[in-house]
Amino acid sequence: MTSKRIQVAADSVCDLPDEIVRNLDIRIIPTYVNIGGQSIPDDGVGLDRQAFYRQLPSMTAQPTTAAPSPGEAEAFYRNMLNDGAENIVSIHVPERLSGVLNTMRLGARAVDAERVRLVDSLQLTFGIGLQVWAAAELAVEGASLNDILEAIERVRQHTEVYAIIDTMQYLQRSGRVNSLVAGIGTLLKIKPIVRVADGDITALARSRTWSRAEAKLKALTQDQAPLDRLAVLHIDNRLGAERFLDSIREIAPQETHIIEVCPTLGAHIGPGSIGVATLNQDWRN
Amino acid sequence: MSSCRKKHGVDGKALKRALASAIGQFSQHVERINAMNVFPVPDGDTGINMYHTLQRAYSEISDIDSSDLPEVSRRFAYGALMGARGNSGTILSQLLKGFAEELQTAEALDTPAFALACKRAAQFAYEAVTSPVEGTILTVAREATETLELHADDDLALSEALRILVRAAQESLRRTPELLPILKESGVVDSGALGLVSFLEGLASTDGKFDSPEKAESPAAAGPGVALDSSSEASYGYDVQFLMLGKDLNIAQIRQDLEQAGWSLLVVGDDSTVKVHIHVDNPALPINYAVQSGATLDDIVIENMELQSRRRPRQEISAPPPEHQRPESYGVIAVAPGEGLRAVFEDLGCEAVIPGGQGRNPSVEDFLVSIKSVNASRAIILPNNRNIIMTARQAAETADEIRVDVLPTTSVVAGISALIALRSFEDSGEDGGDLDSAIDEMRAAGQRVSSIEITRATRDSRLGGLAIRCGDFLATGDGQILVAGATIEASLRDALAKVLKAEHELLTLYYGDGIQEREAGELIERLSFFYSELEFDLVFGGQDLYPYLIGLE
Repeated sequence: MTSKRIQVAADSVCDLPDEIVRNLDIRIIPTYVNIGGQSIPDDGVGLDRQAFYRQLPSMTAQPTTAAPSPGEAEAFYRNMLNDGAENIVSIHVPERLSGVLNTMRLGARAVDAERVRLVDSLQLTFGIGLQVWAAAELAVEGASLNDILEAIERVRQHTEVYAIIDTMQYLQRSGRVNSLVAGIGTLLKIKPIVRVADGDITALARSRTWSRAEAKLKALTQDQAPLDRLAVLHIDNRLGAERFLDSIREIAPQETHIIEVCPTLGAHIGPGSIGVATLNQDWRN
Repeated sequence: MSSCRKKHGVDGKALKRALASAIGQFSQHVERINAMNVFPVPDGDTGINMYHTLQRAYSEISDIDSSDLPEVSRRFAYGALMGARGNSGTILSQLLKGFAEELQTAEALDTPAFALACKRAAQFAYEAVTSPVEGTILTVAREATETLELHADDDLALSEALRILVRAAQESLRRTPELLPILKESGVVDSGALGLVSFLEGLASTDGKFDSPEKAESPAAAGPGVALDSSSEASYGYDVQFLMLGKDLNIAQIRQDLEQAGWSLLVVGDDSTVKVHIHVDNPALPINYAVQSGATLDDIVIENMELQSRRRPRQEISAPPPEHQRPESYGVIAVAPGEGLRAVFEDLGCEAVIPGGQGRNPSVEDFLVSIKSVNASRAIILPNNRNIIMTARQAAETADEIRVDVLPTTSVVAGISALIALRSFEDSGEDGGDLDSAIDEMRAAGQRVSSIEITRATRDSRLGGLAIRCGDFLATGDGQILVAGATIEASLRDALAKVLKAEHELLTLYYGDGIQEREAGELIERLSFFYSELEFDLVFGGQDLYPYLIGLE
């Protein structure tokens, strides 16, 4: 790997499985979850996901989330440059929803802004992960910076992220997607089926029951076939995710993962939800 | 031409007098008609709905002095159409519309013309109902007009024709329990049919005046209700309405005491709440009476009918559609009882919410006002109650400047599901312009949800093999009584045992006016113990008459 000139980096919201991160030498900077005066890095180590989600419904104060500090961002990039990277492609959670990109920009300026290409993924969770994954594969193959940036764009255009929000109460409390919340209404329990695109979350349908919401999610997922890659996402609902995957088994590609969404995102969405991140095969053309 | 007929027939003035008298007499029967309600739930409003319809109809002719029969009948029918409330009121408005249409070419009303108009009236009423039920006002209208048709010829005096019609209607009314089992089971005749018979009886009792306008010129003071017309053209008097609250109020006594005070008297209610509606020259009279009776007065409304009549713009049956271009858009109008349910519909983006429901049916006019307020090129109405669907359809047909679709939702929970389906359709962004597909989805969504309503029986009765005691909590669903129980929880759980299906996932409990949130929360907690597989949603509905409305989906 010493010949690698381009280093791919991302924040922990990309939800890439550890083995992909390790195998492709992707650098991940953790975001933070603040619980009861403590700021815990969301790196899959310091914060036990299962325990966090189990406790979330009974937490009196909604946990908040935070971007890394500019100093951490600076150190993050400096390490990569010290390790021999010529350029860095750094792919992140949408600027519209988070302060991460702003911090990363400050960090990049502190080292060498010219050599760090910041990318707004305009996606969430594995929707970011799909871009990071493809970029890292190309980087390992020695592709040019332009090829990598173009590939990221193609992946973005062929990616869909859909989810069933089991309860609106967390999004309501979080206040990050007020347009969505206002549109859904607040007096009845409604399970919206949402789409993440262009750095925003919008409702595609709304249902009062899980089974109808799931039927809609299934139809939306099937519309994306043939798939190159697929992740079934969940928040403290592995069983639900497995059952859903079974129901779309015939379109699930070789590269299929079941992924529990990171607490940084999950704290705003709440337990019970499931979703998908799909990548249509056409992205390679 | 028909000068011969004119001599023997009835003109517009005579028709107006006859109608005034008939409505006055009808007001005496309002309570009896109300009491004929089939279900032992507090929805006894057939009489009051029909009376409102007739009163509104009369308001269209009260200030005209025209002998033009087509004009008087057309205006009266138009007023009925605008004021129609409830199913019976709506059917009545259709009868009057059919009657009036047949008379549009007649100079005077003679027996053959009357028979034809009656026949047309019955046809209109049948056509207005999607699935006509026999043993109701429809049957009585049809059978009576069929009998009249057999006897009607030029030689028969109009008064005699009217008597034949009334007798046939009375006989038909007696047969309604044979045609509609639920009537027989309850030991009543159909209330709407009774209303029609009462109205026809009122017309027939005007007798001589109806036949010869000359004789009737003097305002006959005799008989109640005739006075409706005794208001001279110079003075319309005052319309006085108020509530009397107290203990052991005697409705019959109040009615008797107030009868001399004015005309168009209406006294309805029970021994603790009495609604008084009267037209008087001196509004102080009935108010003084009520105060001196020791009752508490509430909701006092006094309107100067003369000023009102001057202000009211004349409306014609076929008003031309407004010229201004409306935006290509649509709005949803829902009927909902209670502030909480209003809020739920508004939260889901409903453009207009009309207060109403069981026992409180909005009029065609209420719908038309809302349709206008929506200010869109299309409107969708969610009536959310069986008894409101027809009125909504009537309004939809009347509002000819924009297209109005009525989704026949029979419960509030069905209406809410339908509205969510519409919002879901909009979310999807599929085919944004294709509202028809959206309406199909709304209809399907409304049908998927099961509704249970909990209410309190207001009297002892036997229905569907159930012995129901006054004070029992009844659970109804899809227009059927499911169970009766001594407590809310018992009847709700028994109802759930009947209605709950494996595919149901969510139970929404809308708690009504007078129920504390804590109380409702405890009910949910206990239910969730028995139905652990269900998800629950507790929502403030604020509806009256029904402590709880339940949606299952």
